[in-house]
Amino acid sequence: MVKIEYLTPASPEERKRYYREEWDIKQVPDYITHSIQEREFGFDHVGRGPNDRYKVFRTPDLLKRFLKVRTPFAAYCSVAFYDKPRRRDRWTKAELVFDVDAKDIPIRTCECEGVCEICLNEAREIVCGILDTLKADLGLNNIHVVYSGRGYHIRVLDNDVMGVNSDVRSQIVKYLVGADVPENEYSLDYEKVSYEHFVIPFGYPNVFTKRIKYSILHLNEHTELDGVNKKLLNDVLKNRHLIEDDNWGLFKNKLGPLRYKKVVNSIASLNMSLVDAKVSIDLKRILRLPSSLHSMVSMKCTEVKNIETFDPFKEAVPKFVYERKK
Amino acid sequence: MNIMVSAAFINPLSDEGEIIVRELGDFERVLSDNDDLVQIVTESRSQELSDDSLIPHNYVDLAIKRIEWYAKKKNDRNFDHKQYDFLFNTEIVKFDVIAFYLLCQAVGVKYGPNSRESRVIVESQGKLIEYRLGKLSKNERGEIVTNILNSLIITTHLKWTFFEDLISTKKLKLHDLILDKGEIILDREDFLERFSHNIQGRKPEKMYEALIGDRIKELVMIKMVMQNTENYILKVGEISEREIEPNPILLKLADRISEVLAASVHSYGFGSGYGGSVKASALNPKAFPPCVKKVMEGMKSGGRNDAIIMFLTPFISYARLYPSVFSENVSKQISDVDPTLLIVQNEVLPIIFGAAERCSPPLFEDQPQDKVNLNAKLGFGMHQTPELKNEGETTWYTPMSCEKVKIHLPSLCKPDENCKKIGNPLSYYNRMIWKVKKESKTESTAEQKDDNS
Repeated sequence: MVKIEYLTPASPEERKRYYREEWDIKQVPDYITHSIQEREFGFDHVGRGPNDRYKVFRTPDLLKRFLKVRTPFAAYCSVAFYDKPRRRDRWTKAELVFDVDAKDIPIRTCECEGVCEICLNEAREIVCGILDTLKADLGLNNIHVVYSGRGYHIRVLDNDVMGVNSDVRSQIVKYLVGADVPENEYSLDYEKVSYEHFVIPFGYPNVFTKRIKYSILHLNEHTELDGVNKKLLNDVLKNRHLIEDDNWGLFKNKLGPLRYKKVVNSIASLNMSLVDAKVSIDLKRILRLPSSLHSMVSMKCTEVKNIETFDPFKEAVPKFVYERKK
Repeated sequence: MNIMVSAAFINPLSDEGEIIVRELGDFERVLSDNDDLVQIVTESRSQELSDDSLIPHNYVDLAIKRIEWYAKKKNDRNFDHKQYDFLFNTEIVKFDVIAFYLLCQAVGVKYGPNSRESRVIVESQGKLIEYRLGKLSKNERGEIVTNILNSLIITTHLKWTFFEDLISTKKLKLHDLILDKGEIILDREDFLERFSHNIQGRKPEKMYEALIGDRIKELVMIKMVMQNTENYILKVGEISEREIEPNPILLKLADRISEVLAASVHSYGFGSGYGGSVKASALNPKAFPPCVKKVMEGMKSGGRNDAIIMFLTPFISYARLYPSVFSENVSKQISDVDPTLLIVQNEVLPIIFGAAERCSPPLFEDQPQDKVNLNAKLGFGMHQTPELKNEGETTWYTPMSCEKVKIHLPSLCKPDENCKKIGNPLSYYNRMIWKVKKESKTESTAEQKDDNS
């Protein structure tokens, strides 16, 4: 039986085969080809970063020609739209984007060096959570998910949000990942009232609860959490079945309020690493071009039709990987 | 219910406020002593009247008093609220609105919308509204907030993106708002309809009052008035650029505003917080915030370059040379504060290089070209070492705020108790230095007493 070597680098020959025999311009999403004249493209020809920048294509055919002739190591396209993309001039708007890199997820259950099936799936789960919040809380539409090769990109093309600046994008990131621990004491006229995040089934506290739940359920005995010693970690692991059924009150009691707070604070500070925030706040970012080859892992950067069921090992493996002989 | 208080008392930019402005008539009147104003001031219930200088006699005086109230309240330990009680007398509304417009126009014309003076006008307006609302009865307060909100927000389905400006300038935090399908929930009935069936074990009405209620409505209203004030100053600035001769009354008022603000920093010393101007002195690493201490220990390869070049270099250079950059709000070059670059060579660079060396792998060993980036961050251009002849080719980058650290270097931010009070690692450092100085002063006074006894 031939063993297929996934997630290993592609040779220059394999790149050529991919672009000349398998890739098609129709695989580039409409939201890029329909606005191709407003986008900046960037290319990495040798594997040392995208230093061939300020590239503009007047038509999709010109992009097609470029890729088939040059067969680059990597291809990128700006999330921004410009009046004059050749000089990155007169920025008009930019997609709201989020980059979930499987290699950088703060709590991974695998121990792989790069990426593997396990952490890629965890990245997918994180993306599902973020998508839910983008729609249910922020009410955004026209959301696309792209498998990038080592993780996922979420690309929002809702006009309500494409004009917002970096500061707003930064707050959106923090809201989506649950970076701040919500208040738990509120002042009314004559009294103070206490609501833990888990009793509030809406708004940001609810987002926070979901993110914390995911993290707690993915901890293992080797996870290092600031301010959480071995004993506390073990108690969390021992009692976390309670929050599988959302019995948060019981879970908190088992740990004790002060220890619970330590756990929550520690996980909240990790949440900021669920996405690469630098990508989201950069209004002129270039992102891997959907349909292009991620040459470091020999996977296709692929538009995801159904994130619930997407399996990159079924939908994003280029033919040349199967044709590799061991 | 009848509203006793005019909306203009809380929102001078309202329709009621505009009517008051139109009724002013001759602009030169703003300098004339006004008996009606003096009467309202002297009849204000708790107003201190021992000194005539405490009483504004005309619109311009009142404008100055408005700013003085804010500046002294923030910085003066001996602030006496009775000296400004008239600001909370609702009868003063007609004069107060004109004073507000005078302030905005003076600052818009002379300093523009991005100035420190402009920031203070906006913040003082927010604070004044907060305190004015605080003195109203619960019903009056609720009613006036609702009415003003209704005049500012036309639609019932309010998208969170409507508050883009407020969110961008951090007047509102996204996570403080209750969002559902893109809309901000403010109204009680709306809240109950959407959420009460999901709330278990708690009274939904009480939860509404706690999470939204008057608190969020007031917050939104105050921030909207502040944002509109900012927008108005911007508009004034833009119009004044097209006009040739700004009104001398406004220019003189602008000067007086600056004087009040300068006096508040220098005369009142540290005031309610550590405040004031911090003098440059030798670095005390014990006072570094946790994020800086972490970088000083040495970084592993992830984020190493950013940590040393983007984060540590600006922090160390400003902490040693120009720690009061944020309070003075004046851009400087390093040679303004270290004319021969001796401190840079003997103190600043060794500390940064030390931290770089402790990285694994050591930063400049495998990436010597990053010395150029370090140099650039200090304002000495894309060169290997800092030299006066190259100064100004790049900007001396100011230290990253806590927000930026959380985005670019999230592994560094592990806040301690003291981090709650600040928004920039440099502020943490200044605060700690001030505390250390205060403690050593108290100790030496105690020692002196011991010696003398």
